[in-house]
Amino acid sequence: MKKSIFRVLSVLIAVVMFAGALAACKPAEVDPAEVAAALPREETLYYAGLQWGSVVGWNPYSSNNNNALAVAQGANARIVMFETPYMYNMIDGKQYPLLADGDYTWNDAMTELTFTLKDAAKWSDGTKVTAEDVAYTFDTHIKYETSTGVGVADYVEDVVAVDEKTVTVKAKLNDAGQAVNPLVVSAYVSDNYVIQKAWTETLEERVAGDAEAFKADPGDDAIGSGPYMPFYDDDTKVVLIRNDKYWGKDKSMWGMLPAPKYLAHTIYADNNAGFLALKAGEVDISQQFNSNVQDLWLVDNLPISTYLDDAPYGLTASLPTAYFNLKSFGLDNVAVRKAIAMAVDYDTIIANAMTNQSPTFNQVPRSVMNPTDGEQALYDHAAVADLQWAGNDVEGANKLLDDAGIVDTDGDGYRDIDGTKLSYNAVCPNGWSDWQAAIEIVAAAGEKIGIEITTYFPEWSVYQTVFTDGNQEEYDIFMVWSNGAGPTNPWGRVRQLMSSDFAGTTGNWNGNWGGYVNPRIDEIIAEIPQTTDQAKLVELYTEATEIYLTDVPSFTLMYRPDQFYTVNESVWTDFPAATDGRNIPPMNLADGYGVAGLYYLTLVGD
Amino acid sequence: MKHILHEAFRSPKFVTGFVIFMAILALVVFYPLFVTDHPLAIIGQGTFFPPGIYVSVYDTTNAPQYTMMLPEAEGNRIGAKLGDVEREAMREWLIDFGIPRAEIDIDDTAKLMTLWDAYYDPALRFQGMTSARQKYFARLDASLEGLLVMEPRVIAVPNTETGAFEASQSIELTDFVNVNEVANVRVLPLGTDNFGRDMLTQLVSAIGTSLQIGLVAGTVATLIGLTLGLMAGYIGGLVDDVIMFFTNLFTAIPGIVLLILISYSIGQENRGAVTVAVVIGVTSWVWTTRAVRAQVISLRNRDHVNLSKLSGHSIFHIIFADILPYILSYVVMAFILQISSGILAEAGLSILGLGPKTTDVPTLGLMMRWAMIYSAHILNKWWAFFPVIVAIALISFSLNLMNTGLDQVFNPALRE
Repeated sequence: MKKSIFRVLSVLIAVVMFAGALAACKPAEVDPAEVAAALPREETLYYAGLQWGSVVGWNPYSSNNNNALAVAQGANARIVMFETPYMYNMIDGKQYPLLADGDYTWNDAMTELTFTLKDAAKWSDGTKVTAEDVAYTFDTHIKYETSTGVGVADYVEDVVAVDEKTVTVKAKLNDAGQAVNPLVVSAYVSDNYVIQKAWTETLEERVAGDAEAFKADPGDDAIGSGPYMPFYDDDTKVVLIRNDKYWGKDKSMWGMLPAPKYLAHTIYADNNAGFLALKAGEVDISQQFNSNVQDLWLVDNLPISTYLDDAPYGLTASLPTAYFNLKSFGLDNVAVRKAIAMAVDYDTIIANAMTNQSPTFNQVPRSVMNPTDGEQALYDHAAVADLQWAGNDVEGANKLLDDAGIVDTDGDGYRDIDGTKLSYNAVCPNGWSDWQAAIEIVAAAGEKIGIEITTYFPEWSVYQTVFTDGNQEEYDIFMVWSNGAGPTNPWGRVRQLMSSDFAGTTGNWNGNWGGYVNPRIDEIIAEIPQTTDQAKLVELYTEATEIYLTDVPSFTLMYRPDQFYTVNESVWTDFPAATDGRNIPPMNLADGYGVAGLYYLTLVGD
Repeated sequence: MKHILHEAFRSPKFVTGFVIFMAILALVVFYPLFVTDHPLAIIGQGTFFPPGIYVSVYDTTNAPQYTMMLPEAEGNRIGAKLGDVEREAMREWLIDFGIPRAEIDIDDTAKLMTLWDAYYDPALRFQGMTSARQKYFARLDASLEGLLVMEPRVIAVPNTETGAFEASQSIELTDFVNVNEVANVRVLPLGTDNFGRDMLTQLVSAIGTSLQIGLVAGTVATLIGLTLGLMAGYIGGLVDDVIMFFTNLFTAIPGIVLLILISYSIGQENRGAVTVAVVIGVTSWVWTTRAVRAQVISLRNRDHVNLSKLSGHSIFHIIFADILPYILSYVVMAFILQISSGILAEAGLSILGLGPKTTDVPTLGLMMRWAMIYSAHILNKWWAFFPVIVAIALISFSLNLMNTGLDQVFNPALRE
């Protein structure tokens, strides 16, 4: 009996040893699914609030990837997998070189922008990033009419590879021989990825030149130059893995690899699920609107922080704005518009709807600028001080209306114009909770000044078809977001708020949804991009602010961050914060210059 | 009738349910007589004020002051800022800084504060300390500012001419005011919600609305169910077949699915409380129909019904005089349950965002929805949702108790 056991055991041992020897012959195969199922916590940076639903693709030419962790181009492009020549930093408004070597230069006529690429810059397959890649990326965007291509086609004539390392971006010229818009040209180099020419050609071959198929391809084989590569994704999570051969560890760039080996994003069912995970330390960095976020450290005493320690907790950059539909009865009257805007209690909107995650209008008086120092310096505060209102000024609003002769003539409690009662709806999409709460407070203001305002919250699918139609008469006062921080702002925001180009257009995703027309503001909008003299620029922006605050085509309800930013230091520490003096914006450690934060992270206790 | 009522009030279950229900009803009726605020008025700038008595800080300075020498006052004052957790934390920081443990006596406030003031440096971040912890110490340090100061606090008013501050009043450590003599005191027994609204006022109003919704939904469902059940049961034949065809059809489709689809297609702008109640009513009549029909079938060949038929009475007369009284007890009980399930259905719909449009009138479901959107349950703001849950539970509990009690009265087989 004993003997037989021994025999069986020896056979078993032999089998195990043989199998082990076999396995040793081959390099150990890693199954991403298995690794992703239990990522080592101390090597993984967990996100929340970026990715909702499973990833569609990795194709940087597509605008339908639903791949928030890896692919997002624009003013603060997400540069963990693909990279841009420059990184925008919303704190100081500067563009820092990434793939590019040093600052770009303009020719004297401001029609051509030239930069060179870093010698060290390489794709993840080991080949060099060349000027030809940059040029071919632009050509492809134009050829296949991608959303990037359509967006820049009116401003960028061509991108040319001068030699292997040197790239020139040529601006489209107007009749006077000037660049149509130098701002958009300089934004091009930090907004858009450089995509590998070889991979682009593979993709073109695969779709046989079909533009729709080209943009719809999932691009699973896409090759980037960034520090991370796709590792695993399913309907519960997305995981990126560090490319340990990343070129950026060269002295000419970061000089090291980013700290986390994996970037992972669990796909949460809703905001509350993500909030709970943050609280439990399962999430390191959260891009969610977490209401009353300060309770996490003040009450629960958790190692959780935001960019600023006190309200407004983050760096706000955009201006959610309520537009007046100038076709609505009575709203063509500036007194009515201004009275409503003056009567709204913005302090309550900010304290209740935003739970203080926005500066108040006493702290940052209203203008066309966001609260960043760079933009605030662009207008003369004293010159428009008389025009700015902080809100909750019921008396002033009533006086304004009385003086304009808009009074209640029939005694029903509401003011009339020519015998017709002033009655409006205030609208925002259903489920956008902080906006809904804000709109409620707008409606409450109407009651105080004798103007009937009722709230209305249609579904987003309906809302988006109505407010983008310049001829709609369904919504009277309705909320839309604004441009955040970027190289083309605040010019882009002035244009968005007031440009006549957009007035009355259909399918309008660009701006001026209320249909405001003013030839003078159009001149200013045309002039700003051509202006390099700082004093002149301030003069133009001040005038734009004056016009905006005088005519009140719309009014800002609150300030809001580009990206919400809450970090939990249970595992990682040294996240970017306002007080650390590193000048890194709180942008997910992934967007624009925010990516620099990845190189400072350390483990708690190390 | 009198006998039934008499019997019912001898059933302890019915009485308990009835008393709870009446108490709720009394609250809904009488509370607005005392607190006349609009239930949706935003009174707080900020979210989720905890329950308590709010005293105007400004007005306390104008209220008559009394001097009281309370021995425990100083201890309370220090204890409010410097509890055990804070003392431990200070020791931890001082040890990390390099002070020997033996030299730190955390029970001696004066000594601890002296050590702290001498060594604490907000810029220091020790090995292994997170920046969140560093900020905690900075906040702690700030909160200890002036903790041991015994001098009075001075209230200063700016001079309108020079702009310089001039002392107008000094507040001693022994000064007290009587809350009854402060001009503005607001009691918020349940705090405020995410909009800064008084929770209790809103809750009472919401219970009223929810009861109305339940009543309307219950009435609609019972009327439809009763009518169809009577017709199917008494007339029979083709009418029965057709009615039962639809009844079975609706039985097979879960009510909640229908409810969601109808609510969604109505659109939010049209969803008032009454509309939602009617929608709930028209999707929950099937079981009443089936039960009524079954009872009517067993009744329609009874002698007194046949007698009535022979006497030439009309169908309506027979149904109302000879059949309805016999099933009335069941109908009343079904009605009570329909009210209860109507209230629950509204809460369910509202949580999904398909209930009555927000901030028109408060309902129990909407209150829970907003509490959830603003993460009250994650942030432990229990007063924003727990009272609502208790209210819903109490309403359906009382209605169900009344139902069970009545059941025992009507059905001798169930009597204990």
